[in-house]
Amino acid sequence: MASSDERPGAYPARNGAENQPPGDPETMKTVMIDKGAAMMQSLKPIKQMSLHLCSFACYGHDPSRQIEVNFYVHRLNQDFLQCAVYDSNSSKTHLIGVEYIVSERLFEALSPEEQKLWHSHDYEIQTGLLVTPRVPELVAKTELQNIAKTYGKFWCTWQTDRGDKLPLGAPSLMVSPQDVNMGKIKPGLLKKRDDEYGISTESLKASRVDIMGPERKNPMADYWVHHGKGLAVDIVETEMKKLAPFP
Amino acid sequence: MEKAVHLSTKNGPKVPGEPTKTGTSMVDTAASAVQSFAPINQIHQHLCAFHFYAYDMTRQVEAHHFCGHINEDMRQCLIYDGPDANARLIGLEYIVTEKLFMTLPDDEKKLWHTHEWEVKGGFLFMPGVPEAIQRQDLEKVAKTYGKVYHFWQVDLGHQLPIGLPNIMMAVTRDGQLYPEMIKETEKQFGVSMDKERASRAYMKGPDHGIHPLANGGGKGLKLEVREVDIKPVESVPRVFV
Repeated sequence: MASSDERPGAYPARNGAENQPPGDPETMKTVMIDKGAAMMQSLKPIKQMSLHLCSFACYGHDPSRQIEVNFYVHRLNQDFLQCAVYDSNSSKTHLIGVEYIVSERLFEALSPEEQKLWHSHDYEIQTGLLVTPRVPELVAKTELQNIAKTYGKFWCTWQTDRGDKLPLGAPSLMVSPQDVNMGKIKPGLLKKRDDEYGISTESLKASRVDIMGPERKNPMADYWVHHGKGLAVDIVETEMKKLAPFP
Repeated sequence: MEKAVHLSTKNGPKVPGEPTKTGTSMVDTAASAVQSFAPINQIHQHLCAFHFYAYDMTRQVEAHHFCGHINEDMRQCLIYDGPDANARLIGLEYIVTEKLFMTLPDDEKKLWHTHEWEVKGGFLFMPGVPEAIQRQDLEKVAKTYGKVYHFWQVDLGHQLPIGLPNIMMAVTRDGQLYPEMIKETEKQFGVSMDKERASRAYMKGPDHGIHPLANGGGKGLKLEVREVDIKPVESVPRVFV
């Protein structure tokens, strides 16, 4: 009934500002209630996000569709990170998904079926696609070296790149840029990002020549590269196991 | 039939891994001082509620939402399994007004759930905020619809987020949620849901009533993965990074 690789049914044409979800601007009352509440709540989990990474991702069922992604990262320990993913770094942005990042050690302990859902990070770091905005390369180096050896699992729940004004359909499994035709990021997309951040991906490559990937790159990761098959997600109807009538 | 048991998500297994090394944490400290966190700074609100799996009501999870407004009609929320610094990011939720919900294609409506009973029943609350202030916002939430995905099945004791995402649903009538789970939450946050229910009796749900297609349209929902052929590489022009 819904699939990550399908265009959803007829949906009202876009109007108003490009990329803005439909809806009225926040009322002053809403803003005040929000601010009042925020003063009384500690919001601890979200304060743990201490690193912003900008990179690119591709749709797992069609890697020729590529998007810029902004990760806000919480490192729980040396082997595990959890990230909120947005399609831009502004305050008017869309929460488009979640990515989890694990060390090589944790990844190797996963089942092969699970490993298929994960992607490697070394290529995007070595080629300068993944950047740490405002943090000088020298300062960021340790984290870049860490992350280059990791694997990620990224579910995208809002396909804003195809113009969806609201989050429609099934989540998409995303994959990372790779050193194959379809996995290379389109120059236009890259230039737009570089111009916005005032950086040069090309010149970052030079400072990253010594960054290594995993000890042994696991062939179950980046499944599409090695097997020529992408992964799409379907939502299917089934019977719900119940404790009481629903709804 | 075996009696369904609530598997508490509190005090679950720790995420495996070595403690963060100093050299690594120094990068994060530097980053958090100079980088912009504009999207995260939009998050202004913490809501606690309960979700169950869209194909299995017997599996229920306490869900801590950290929400920001995109505009008056829409919020986007990160979902954690607890309110503390070590909480696991287990999912996300989008919340829209009835106005936006009604614009969705029919098949899409099934993936969304109503908030009316969650709010009116007292099950959804804002930790730390006096009830009278909470109600000013929650009376709006009662009229909205939400779409939730969880990516980490903490109720099964998974140490890592394995498997596919799950659509989640929310309480729509009494008798669905485990009383022991509710009591645990009430105790931890010092709230009384019965008391709050009385104060929320005035609230109304969506103006046009709960849409019959919402909440799975009465069906369970599950996700499956499928292999697809990737477009032939020849059809993609050679590009170089």
